[in-house]
Amino acid sequence: MIQELRILPPLAIARFGAAPTPMDNYDAVVDPQRPLGYRDLRPAETFKVDAQSGEIVDTFVPTRVTFTEDGSVRPLAPFLEVWALTDGGELEQLTTALLDREGASVSDLRWRVQVANLKVFRRTNIEDDKVSADTGDFSGHERHTLRGECPNFLPGKTIPFGHVQYIKPNDARPEIRLRFTPAGGFVYGASRTLAPQGPLDRNVVDAVYDARPGRGTWLGYSDEDPGRPTTVPGGIYAQDPPASGISSGYLDDGCDGVVRLTLTVGGRELSAFGRVGAGPPTYAPDAVPIRTVADELEQALFGPSNKPDEATLERVEEIVRRAFETIRLMNTPAMNEQGNGMAGHDNGARRRFEPIMARSLVDEVALENLHESLLVALRSGTAPWFADVLRDYDEIGDLSDRGRRKMPALMRGADGRHLTLTRRQIDLIRTLARGPIFADENDTP
Amino acid sequence: MRSRIARHLWPVLEHEQRDAVDPRAAGVTVEPQVPPLELNGRDYAIFLLRLAAEVEHGLMVQYLFAAYSLGARDTPEDRRGDVRAWQETILGIAKEEMAHLVTVENLLTALSAPLNFNREEFPHTTPLYPFGFKLQPASLDSLATYICAESPEEWDIPEDEEQDIKDRAQVAAGAPINRVGLLYAELMRVLSDETAVSPDDFNDASRAFQASWHEWGRGYRQGERGREAMSSLPDLPAPELLIIEVGTRAQALNAIAEVGEQGEGLEPGTENESHFQRFLAIYRGMNELGDGVGVRRLATNPTTDLEGPDIGAPEDPNSTTPIVDEEAKLWAHLFNVRYRKLLVNLSHAFALSDDPSDRAALTPRGALIHRTFSEMYNLRAIAGLLVELPVNSADPYGPRAGPPFQIPHTLMLPQDEGGRWRMHRDILDAAAIVIERLTNEGAVDGQDYLAALAQADETERAQIELLIAGSALTASRNGAPPT
Repeated sequence: MIQELRILPPLAIARFGAAPTPMDNYDAVVDPQRPLGYRDLRPAETFKVDAQSGEIVDTFVPTRVTFTEDGSVRPLAPFLEVWALTDGGELEQLTTALLDREGASVSDLRWRVQVANLKVFRRTNIEDDKVSADTGDFSGHERHTLRGECPNFLPGKTIPFGHVQYIKPNDARPEIRLRFTPAGGFVYGASRTLAPQGPLDRNVVDAVYDARPGRGTWLGYSDEDPGRPTTVPGGIYAQDPPASGISSGYLDDGCDGVVRLTLTVGGRELSAFGRVGAGPPTYAPDAVPIRTVADELEQALFGPSNKPDEATLERVEEIVRRAFETIRLMNTPAMNEQGNGMAGHDNGARRRFEPIMARSLVDEVALENLHESLLVALRSGTAPWFADVLRDYDEIGDLSDRGRRKMPALMRGADGRHLTLTRRQIDLIRTLARGPIFADENDTP
Repeated sequence: MRSRIARHLWPVLEHEQRDAVDPRAAGVTVEPQVPPLELNGRDYAIFLLRLAAEVEHGLMVQYLFAAYSLGARDTPEDRRGDVRAWQETILGIAKEEMAHLVTVENLLTALSAPLNFNREEFPHTTPLYPFGFKLQPASLDSLATYICAESPEEWDIPEDEEQDIKDRAQVAAGAPINRVGLLYAELMRVLSDETAVSPDDFNDASRAFQASWHEWGRGYRQGERGREAMSSLPDLPAPELLIIEVGTRAQALNAIAEVGEQGEGLEPGTENESHFQRFLAIYRGMNELGDGVGVRRLATNPTTDLEGPDIGAPEDPNSTTPIVDEEAKLWAHLFNVRYRKLLVNLSHAFALSDDPSDRAALTPRGALIHRTFSEMYNLRAIAGLLVELPVNSADPYGPRAGPPFQIPHTLMLPQDEGGRWRMHRDILDAAAIVIERLTNEGAVDGQDYLAALAQADETERAQIELLIAGSALTASRNGAPPT
């Protein structure tokens, strides 16, 4: 008997794309013979979904990984699977057969998806600036458009957030799934008139926000106006004129929200929920940032410390690999300075005009090589020796030379201060650094 | 005794020092003459600084070897933390010796003098050298030697213990230990003397070529050691790298005083413990734990040479130990190549200047600095493999090979940039040959490391080709013959 339901993964992040065909699956793997190279992108098993029927009609491995289609980016459209906790305490994937055993059918499942984009509301604090979409309950397999509606939109205007589709199980694929396909990644604008006058701003695909007098205030809004609830960092919206603090009135089609599932069997109502979100495409798919959402989640789940058997050199190597992959994408000489560089954020202690590192040391290629050499040495089995230089979470505001030069360097966190690894990542490196620096295995019979 | 150094030192030595290095001098009464004939004051200062560079270099290498020897499996479970802390402490001292070496090179640069990244090879004695160079595992004997070398004139410890340590060191080294402080005291005296070294002899403009803490310090804070633990072990104070730029006499004297104080200082407490105090603490700890407990059985003075004048009878503690196990020997060769590469990177970095106010004037100096650190990582990695391999495969559970630290045939830089980058390329080519043999001849451990190292070297070689091409272009624009 099914005791509980789960939606897995509990959090799925889609990536924008305007192409009609979603992105195929691939694995990013390290070539053992070229361990310092870019990760190989290897095509992986992919489902083909028929848009009309909602069925998976084919399973294939593409011959090559292709990110665009006719000039448009292919969206990354994740599947959410449903799993059941049954009497034995085991999780098993919910299938038509399991539903049969419970005396239920595919159509007994009811889905509801509610997503929103609260970016404007986050700044203006006006309820009518919330953009949200709600599919209502559904059990059919047609596509459900996520139509972002907002009280402060012009009449009849919405922002499409993409769509969801309850995948229709069949004999080949009897599992229960829902797919979230995000929006195209477009920018929308505002208008001071009911019908936009003249050509649209070249950055936007439609003017949807009603900026007429007495309506929404987003066009022309400024973080710097008195009484605004400030955020850290401030001013992270398109501005016109640039750097004026005055909002251009832009919105995007990103969203996040909740997927709910309900199943009534034997008079019992079972439910589950998962979360979805959408973000920009990956333009460096063969690299992984030094600190990711996955690192945050892992820390939230397992805490800031590692068990001794969890601390492995392979995990440290992965962090180091991500460090030089990140450097490959950085303009380190620029980040070392003021302007848009990290030094420019050091507005305490009057240090914003001083470079962070000695200028001779921040050449991108030289830094990439240095970080690669960390990985090279780690592969000998020696314990990490660089725990000393890691920035702790409570040192993000240390603007001394030593503090500014700790690792990871020249990058900022979401708060505008110097970036740190997660406490769990740091603990991993320190745990190994405290141990023996070399193995000692072979000198006795 | 080496003639080129000894003949200049001879006149400045006290009688007992002369007797110690050359018994033939016994009974000969000649008053010390400073500076020695053939040298003027400035030249004598340069001579002493070049000697100091050798001493710091030699100490660094010997301390690294001693640190790598710690952490054997026989360490009692409840003392592993202590032994690990000793190891980290000695590694920290070695880092500080590296900084001393760099500061001495700064002093030479300030005097517009030739730099010295060389040092003597295996067993030798030279006046003002603290003791004969010897790569050996940590032991009460070797620690006693290091304590004496780093000691102040007056020891602030119980007399019995002081005498025990001095006796032990003398027996171990086969001669009284010279304090490093004597060399620095002599330097202090010469550099203070305006008649010996004039104010004009200090070239302030040379600072553009000197090493700075900002480039080399890697966060090991100048003047703030011990304020917070930064080392891998939370309770251990981090090393403090004294990398001091010099443009004037006052700065030169300050640099020498600071370096001397870090070696032999007596100030108690954890924040500013000198090398003397730190070695003394380890000596006491090992004395309590048991001599040699927790220490790997590494060969003394391991070498890739199978024959040579330094190879003595096996029972001679100062003899070298040829590494005859094929795999270990290849790793030892690779170690030597990377050691050379480190020294060439370091030396080359001193040959290039950077104007920090002008980004367009940047040179590959920063890249060379990073490469120097990269090679330190490689030395540590290869040492980690060597301490696991037997010296002789016929005796698989016999002594382990350690890092040989053999000095290359030359450390002199070519005159022009193109030639220098060719030298880097030569070294990489030499490394590639050894890596290929280790890969193909089945090194048991380290294959992952070799694959990564080969790829890193390949990348570096491509970059060096560009620098060679760029140097040729610059030379032709300047009307110089192509190199």
